[in-house]
Amino acid sequence: MRSVLQRLIDRYAPLLAAAALLLGLFQFLICAAVASVDVGGAIELLISTLPPFVQAAVTSQLMGGLTASGLIAFGWSHPIAQALGIAVAVVLAANAVAGEVEAGTIELVLSQPLSRLHYFGTHVLFAGAALAVLSAAGVAGTVVGQRVFSLPPFAPVALLKLGANFLALVGACFGITLLFSAFSRERGRAATFGFLVALTSYLVQVIGSLWIKAAFLVPYTLHHYFSPREILAGYANLARPMAVLMGVIVVGVGLGWWRFRRRDLP
Amino acid sequence: MNGLEVSDLTKRYGRVQALRNVSFSVAAGEVFGYLGPNGAGKTTTLRIAVGLVRADQGSVRLLGRAVGEARARESVGYLPGDLRLYLDMTGASLLNYGARFRPGRPPVLRAQLLETFGLSETDLARRVKTLSRGTQQKLGLVLAMQHDPDLLLLDEPTIGLDPLVQHAFRGLLRELAGRGKTVLFSSHVLSEVEAVCGRVAILKAGEVLAVETIQTLRERVVRHMQVRFAAAAPATLAGLPGVTRAQVSGREATLWVQGDLNPLLRELAGWPVEQLIFPEPQLEDIFLGYYGPQESRHA
Repeated sequence: MRSVLQRLIDRYAPLLAAAALLLGLFQFLICAAVASVDVGGAIELLISTLPPFVQAAVTSQLMGGLTASGLIAFGWSHPIAQALGIAVAVVLAANAVAGEVEAGTIELVLSQPLSRLHYFGTHVLFAGAALAVLSAAGVAGTVVGQRVFSLPPFAPVALLKLGANFLALVGACFGITLLFSAFSRERGRAATFGFLVALTSYLVQVIGSLWIKAAFLVPYTLHHYFSPREILAGYANLARPMAVLMGVIVVGVGLGWWRFRRRDLP
Repeated sequence: MNGLEVSDLTKRYGRVQALRNVSFSVAAGEVFGYLGPNGAGKTTTLRIAVGLVRADQGSVRLLGRAVGEARARESVGYLPGDLRLYLDMTGASLLNYGARFRPGRPPVLRAQLLETFGLSETDLARRVKTLSRGTQQKLGLVLAMQHDPDLLLLDEPTIGLDPLVQHAFRGLLRELAGRGKTVLFSSHVLSEVEAVCGRVAILKAGEVLAVETIQTLRERVVRHMQVRFAAAAPATLAGLPGVTRAQVSGREATLWVQGDLNPLLRELAGWPVEQLIFPEPQLEDIFLGYYGPQESRHA
């Protein structure tokens, strides 16, 4: 187990470091943008010129999105932040089984005195830790950005919840991709399926929030259960979203394990 | 206790019957050949033995332990037939990676193996992807043997090795067997199995045809001998000792020979022989010994 873990650290350290740095930097730059360009103020000025009943309607629709916290939250739903987190999750999961089968190295590893449970469990634990580091880097970028640019700080609990919710979202993408990986012999195929699920989830959530006829689909997406704006505004109840995302992780990893422990290798 | 016990092993992949009721055992201190053409089921047997493939029926015991226990592989060394290493690792990091799986069995043979295979520090410092196929094979052998395993499972181990290294490797296997280690040596080359093994199982289309000593195998194998005479080939060749069949064409004759060669060679010495070609026996020749010409063609 130690050998597999060491191998995973050696292999993925550069990827993780780069992704964590980018995500942290991205969240830092979002704070810089919020501080230097008063987008909210400009739009509020425009809204103030509207008749009072229109002002009320527009403000309720935006639900605080024009505040500093709303714009920082947008940084977490931004495609770049999403792509970074999902890419790491999908790469780790696709390589865990399908990648090793495709490379033929699974035969080398599993012929050692190592049970399949230890092998699979090590990959899951490593991915959990790696994605947690990634989430923490993003949160750190937000915190540092707020301090550097003198933005109103968030409560530590809110930041913790944000990190946990992001971790659960990318963890769900990992779980689903790991399931595909456990059935597949090609890392590319497993990764493609994983990315397609994540992309579909993201797009359906965006389209559903803009187009009322598609709104019924939104609760079936992973991204519906990721709520940075509500978390940072301090009124999110995370119990249900976290339960759903954790459920996806458990089902993905559980079914993946069920398949992996039975399949002939390589 | 046997080092390896294979009992009634059966495996099917869809419509393909990979193994059918395969049984044999290998004693401690024995180098055992597992001989068969490509696709006969040798690799499937070994993959079942290390727990990579699940048998439909039957069982394998490694040093008295069931395959399912990861601890059973603690004292086992395995070289896959289709060896694939982590290409991004250096040779040294790959060997350390393998060693970390067995904290209780340090790589005591590593230095000796590196010397036997002629692997230098420079080779070990290079990334695996920059090494030749032969050097990767040597690295795979060191990885399989560095912890001085009690049971060695080697699937076509000499692929890519030059003759000198093959010779040294065979010496090493004999030395291991002399120290009570169990070795299963899978190959499709009869001559290398003959050179190092005491007994052999012959596998064909997923079934064990026979488990024999090398001596018995030598006696049963039917080999081709081509003889060119200075004058017309004698008509009585088919009746010579050990000749099971003879085909004559002018001065040239092809003989199918079984068993001890010496009586035949003494007889041939009585004729003016110009040339005698006695090629390495092939697997086909073994199947000929067990099945005769018709059946052996399907091997």
